[in-house]
Amino acid sequence: MILALAALLGAALTAAACYAAGAMLIDKLGLTLRRFERAPLAFTLGAACLHLAVFAILTVHLAYWPVLTALLLGAIGGALAKGSWKLRGEQGEPLSVNLKRICIPSFGIFILLYFFHAWAPEMSPDGSGYHLGNVVRELRAHGFERITTDMYATLSAGIEMLFVPAFAIGRHSAAALVHLAFLVALALAMFAYGRRLGMPWVGAAGAFLTFASPVVGIDGSSAYNDVGVAAVVFSAFYWLEIWDETRDSRALVPVGLMAGYAYATKYTAFVMVLFALGFVAWRARKVRPLITVALFSSAMIVPWMLKDWIVVQNPIAPFGNAIFRNPYFHPMFEKNYAEDLRSYGVTDKRTLPLEVTIRGEKTQGILGLTFLAAPLALLALRYRHGRRLLAAGLVLGITYFANIGTRFLIPPLPFLSLAMAMGIGGGFGIGPPILGALMVFHAVSSWPPEMRHYADHFVWGLNHILFEQALRIVPQDQYLRTERDYSAARLVEATVPAGERILGLRGVPYAYCNREILSTYQSALSQTLIDFINASIIEDYQPTVVESFKFQERSGSRFRVLQTATVHDANAQWSVHELRFFHNGIEIPRRPEWRIQAWTNPWEVQLAFDNSLATRWRTWETVKPGDFLDVDFGRDEVVDEARLDTSPDYYEIRIQVEAMDSNGKWVELARDPKAVLADHSKYSLRRAAIYEINARGIHYLLAGEDDFRADDIRDDPEAWGMTQVASGYGIKIYKLNGATK
Amino acid sequence: MSRFRYSNLTVNLRLLLLPGAVFLYACQNMPAPYAPPEQRQPFETFAPYRINRIIDMADGDADNYIVHDILRTGGTWRWTGKHPEARVFMRANDGLHYIVDLTIAGATFKDTGPVTLTFYVNGHLLDKATYSASGPEHFDEPVPADWVQVGKDAIVGAEIDKPWISPADGVALGFILNRIGLRQE
Repeated sequence: MILALAALLGAALTAAACYAAGAMLIDKLGLTLRRFERAPLAFTLGAACLHLAVFAILTVHLAYWPVLTALLLGAIGGALAKGSWKLRGEQGEPLSVNLKRICIPSFGIFILLYFFHAWAPEMSPDGSGYHLGNVVRELRAHGFERITTDMYATLSAGIEMLFVPAFAIGRHSAAALVHLAFLVALALAMFAYGRRLGMPWVGAAGAFLTFASPVVGIDGSSAYNDVGVAAVVFSAFYWLEIWDETRDSRALVPVGLMAGYAYATKYTAFVMVLFALGFVAWRARKVRPLITVALFSSAMIVPWMLKDWIVVQNPIAPFGNAIFRNPYFHPMFEKNYAEDLRSYGVTDKRTLPLEVTIRGEKTQGILGLTFLAAPLALLALRYRHGRRLLAAGLVLGITYFANIGTRFLIPPLPFLSLAMAMGIGGGFGIGPPILGALMVFHAVSSWPPEMRHYADHFVWGLNHILFEQALRIVPQDQYLRTERDYSAARLVEATVPAGERILGLRGVPYAYCNREILSTYQSALSQTLIDFINASIIEDYQPTVVESFKFQERSGSRFRVLQTATVHDANAQWSVHELRFFHNGIEIPRRPEWRIQAWTNPWEVQLAFDNSLATRWRTWETVKPGDFLDVDFGRDEVVDEARLDTSPDYYEIRIQVEAMDSNGKWVELARDPKAVLADHSKYSLRRAAIYEINARGIHYLLAGEDDFRADDIRDDPEAWGMTQVASGYGIKIYKLNGATK
Repeated sequence: MSRFRYSNLTVNLRLLLLPGAVFLYACQNMPAPYAPPEQRQPFETFAPYRINRIIDMADGDADNYIVHDILRTGGTWRWTGKHPEARVFMRANDGLHYIVDLTIAGATFKDTGPVTLTFYVNGHLLDKATYSASGPEHFDEPVPADWVQVGKDAIVGAEIDKPWISPADGVALGFILNRIGLRQE
């Protein structure tokens, strides 16, 4: 029960501090809001400010719970002292009895469902994965760590910054409850927007369409961030509308902060900055307002860019790696990752409308049956505000096709919902009854048991009210143990000594595992190490081809092999296991004075010069003319042959060998190599691969099930040089045997 | 004193310098050349790779491979019934051996006396063994390659001729199973 109360306390203090900070800023700016819009807009504005404060605390490594609690109490105390806490402003038109009769039970039953789910032990896939996994790491280190092995640690984390103080007080569930606070703020803001327009039914119906949407429910009551993003972008839009109505330049401050905070919460929401700038440019036709918005946006954006620039040499990591080249993320990872996010296994994109509304297994969640009527939102085009809503929704929807998961529709969903409500029920005398009926239909069709009648069996969504779990009548560990992944995380922690890093062929919920797992695609390092394992098993990745370039004897200090072909396969990489130089058939020994470099992927060039057949230098991006491996012997050597140990995985590669002449120009020596098949059958690539991983200070390997590598290791761990040390819950943990060579 | 004012164009052009500088920085991120690393010695294969699909009852996932008649009690060993079976996924079928580690329990042996176990692979009778004392036993017999299909589950099982029948509830107990499966030799 103490866990449950701590979770409530952590979330309540964080949410209250957000409201307090926002309310103080609103008052400081002298902005006048209506009473019904003050709470949600102050909450999101304060969240933006508080997130920066937490960012600063993490930067200076002062993230101890007393400091974080003092921050929250300071904000609340400040608002109370200054009188900003109080709701004030013009009261709106009183709400009709019918509206209350529809809204109170509709919202009430869903908030009950969401509240107990958020309050129950957190076990959502990404929530207990990276969203809270990174929070746990930050709190353990009392600040930001220099993490270069996890792409998720480089994403902007504006909502997760608020999870930090909540988690410090109330652990995992507190973070989920903070996210739920964003959902409540979003619904209140949408309702307030309708009231501001004089269309309370539109506001209520629009808010409910979003609020009760199944994917919004599960996301908003988990430690995710999508609903938070939606609340932030809608608030930015709302402040734009306030500025446009009042032309009070002070309103541009929250416009800029909220638009910038959108980027800070999720990269894909950066379009809100463009929308805000475009809107202000269109309406003001002056530069000064634009500069105001840009400056305050930058205050939210720049810290995240700087952090990534400092840590991983790429301000927009983990994307843009072909522009901001760095040793930590491969461009090929980015390409493959982006392709996965664009696909989700939906081969026929024409089925997407059905997938995201009523099926949901592939795209992981549904918006709900009601959203099959989404085209009715176009009826809102007849209103000025309807056009604006649709324009904002369209802009926010632009990035959807970069990630077609249903939850990536959540940021534009409030705009679509309000436009639908406006299109269906605005302006007609029969609007309220229609909108009331729409809300009832949406409530019924989105309620979990009903939703599961039409959605796919394994759709991501809520099931029932977790009353006993939330109150910890069912003990937390007992409930979490019903999830196999949680037990797997505990097994990892029980098996692997503290401080040891693990190479993972799969992950576990990091928020419940105090061990660093270098997992699959998440960094250049883990990709390269897993490539060693793959190349031990997959024949096409093995160095079965030796390409020999013979040429007239040449004396020189710099030689290189140059790739000249333009390939058609975007996945084609050039890989070199070893590059050797010979004279009269005798290898020129590698000396420490040699200097070697490569383009692309210069950071891994040593893999082509380490005499290990288990390792290989790869371009890790689509191979292109001009890619090279370059050797400076440090003195003149006589060379008449270059040999490449390579793999036959791509055929379009064309190589030539060149030497640098006395004028510093490259001169071609040979092309069209003689290729012979190499016999490495007496060598154990498996053991060599594990040796390399061991040599990099990684002594444990985590494997799952149903994976060809896991199968191969499980069948003969001794041949790999590993010993199984634990098994269960869908994972096996191996200890890498001590390095013997 | 005249007051200099920037035009919007001037401001905009100067603002362009910043992303330009960022872009140029990005293009220059080439590390200094490296020296060759420590040279590795090749690992000679000390033993051929052999597939080993033995289900250890101590394995946390052992229950996933039970077909029937093995009690899902957890722990490091399980009671079997009369005809226990488990499944193992095989990626090869040459040189396979059927391996069972079991224990004839003293508590049942005193009632049943010597028992005979018949061992099966995919329904083919592989061998029989009679155990005339209680205690741990190891069974290891080669399996004809054509009994097992590559890339499919193989069913390995055993049948005890005289299970012990509980007088209280009639439950039939066979033997204590520790490990069962196929291994390539």
